[in-house]
Amino acid sequence: MNLMLNILLNVFIAFFIGSILIGLQRKIMARIQGRPGPPVIQHLLHTLKFFIKESAFPKTAAMPFYVAITAMLFVIWVAAVIDGPVTEGSLLLIFAIYTIQKIGEHNAGSSSGSPYGKMSCVRAVYSAAAEVPLFAVLIIIYLKAGTMNISSIINYQSIHGPLLFTIPLAAIMFFVLILSKSQYSPFAITKGKDIVSGYETEHFGLLRGYLMISESIAWYMLLWVFLTVFLGPLSLPAYLIGMVVLSAIVAFINAVTPILNPNHSVMMQVSFAFIGIAGSIVLLMI
Amino acid sequence: MNDATYLIYIISFVLGSIVGLVLSYRKYTAPYVTKNIDIIALAVSIIGWMLVINSHLITFIPVYLNITIGIFLVAMVLGMRPGYGRYETVIGFIIAAVVWIGTVLV
Repeated sequence: MNLMLNILLNVFIAFFIGSILIGLQRKIMARIQGRPGPPVIQHLLHTLKFFIKESAFPKTAAMPFYVAITAMLFVIWVAAVIDGPVTEGSLLLIFAIYTIQKIGEHNAGSSSGSPYGKMSCVRAVYSAAAEVPLFAVLIIIYLKAGTMNISSIINYQSIHGPLLFTIPLAAIMFFVLILSKSQYSPFAITKGKDIVSGYETEHFGLLRGYLMISESIAWYMLLWVFLTVFLGPLSLPAYLIGMVVLSAIVAFINAVTPILNPNHSVMMQVSFAFIGIAGSIVLLMI
Repeated sequence: MNDATYLIYIISFVLGSIVGLVLSYRKYTAPYVTKNIDIIALAVSIIGWMLVINSHLITFIPVYLNITIGIFLVAMVLGMRPGYGRYETVIGFIIAAVVWIGTVLV
């Protein structure tokens, strides 16, 4: 297939699936909490809605950074799709994209000039200290499989079986990272409702639409990375089932746990990361 | 199944959900009713699930077209306004699953 067409197809798939999965999460959370909840496609409709709304720019916004950051967040996650499902390239690149996402969250918050955005910006730096080590759990995969190339990791698993069973601690730690990226999770301090919508609070119209698209693609990509590097070669329907199951588990956890205080959130994530990395290395040596 | 077919299925699901949502808001004014079963929605759900799960039984239409139409119909019922379409979806799925199990056993 033509590379450009392949990229477009995968970006659209990532956007649609990511949006529907976020909607599904909200629906499951609502049902657990005894509410009717929004329709499953609500997040997708919200995203599309912002593209036909007026784009207002606050006087306090730091231009052109305020606009550029939304494009940057969108572009990096499209790059993640190209590196992931399209070319099955390097995990290191996805790690780099994830760290840029944290910088993006920080800058989106600070460039708006809103106090809520600024609070979110501080929390983004704070949480990066915890989430980046969690992502670094992927180094365990290198120690086990001897490669950071996604297609090689898939080949390794087709011969030796899924890495989920050989390095389970690393898989759990990566799941904690996925959990922390979901919207209502106990670790979602950058977008906690105590600061309205965090770094997205002062982004309206088209800009908010781009932020929401990147959010959907990011969710799809994190689930894709988890399923690919821990469960090995999967067919497209298997990916879909895996993503629905993971989103449902995350929704269940989010529905029954309150958001943590930022200090507690970060300390808990760092503790998880330490247990994951140290425990996995110990397990590898035994 | 390649990526393009996959995307068509997803778009079919999204369009079906939007149509279901709009139609159900026009049809029902009560905000949240859990007990009633809508016969039309039930029929749509059964046809949809049959097309999705038992697409191999209908040979005169290409399988991907069967599934696309089936997903659209399933999504129409599943995507109805909150509180509607749940029983219809479950009943439709069960009937289609029973037929599928029957065809596998026979």
